[in-house]
Amino acid sequence: MAFKEKVVPTIRIGDSLLVPIQIDLDDKTVEQLQAQLLEEIREHRVRAVILDVRMVEVIDSYISYTLSETAAMAHLMGCRTVICGIQPPVALTLAQMGIELQGFLVARDLEHAMGLVYSP
Amino acid sequence: MDGKLRELLDISENDFDVVVRITREEDIAIARQMAKQLAQELGFSLADVTKVATAVSELARNIYRYAQTGKIMIRKRLEESGGPAIQVVAADRGPGIDNVDRVLARGYTTHERSLGIGLPGVRRLMDFCEIASKVGTGTVVRVEKRRRKF
Repeated sequence: MAFKEKVVPTIRIGDSLLVPIQIDLDDKTVEQLQAQLLEEIREHRVRAVILDVRMVEVIDSYISYTLSETAAMAHLMGCRTVICGIQPPVALTLAQMGIELQGFLVARDLEHAMGLVYSP
Repeated sequence: MDGKLRELLDISENDFDVVVRITREEDIAIARQMAKQLAQELGFSLADVTKVATAVSELARNIYRYAQTGKIMIRKRLEESGGPAIQVVAADRGPGIDNVDRVLARGYTTHERSLGIGLPGVRRLMDFCEIASKVGTGTVVRVEKRRRKF
């Protein structure tokens, strides 16, 4: 699967891929991000993908569905997915809607996320 | 139900502060940005701004996904007895819903890439949620959220 350009610039840290999401996740973007991440997991053989969503203001049912699906795909490729930095209003909204982010390890911040990646 | 649907489908755009026509996927993000802005202007808490923006995102996506085209209309209501409120009307002349109760049940969906959580989620995020729909005519969802006192 080829993509012309990355929708989200990623950073390699050891054998993890840090994905700081700093743009509004619209439907097309979140689908492109999924394709990009799967390609990067394959290409760089990373053991974990860390999604940093500190800057994300809205996570609705479709975005959470697509992110969970991405985590499930990553899992099938032998890769962990950690999500960190969910903002309190976003957490409240997700909880009230009854959305569970399945397939993720959830971390408070980047440091916590790195800890989870390297825990057994 | 027919009377209500007709009344809501004929509602005048002029009564709203913002009308976003949903014809492309990108319009979903535009609708939620506009909802966020109006809720902020009304002095909603950050938590409630996020809930309103998320609810509008769900409603706009439903239009795009099931009816292809429609519109999201948003207005600030200052005269409400319960305090300022934001009202959103999502209207389309798409295929309609044959069983409204069923789409309000969690986990029901006709779309393959969905949790079936959209409309029930909207209802939980907002203070008021009304759906009028008829197969072959269209669907109108009207929701409201009041500003919380602190």
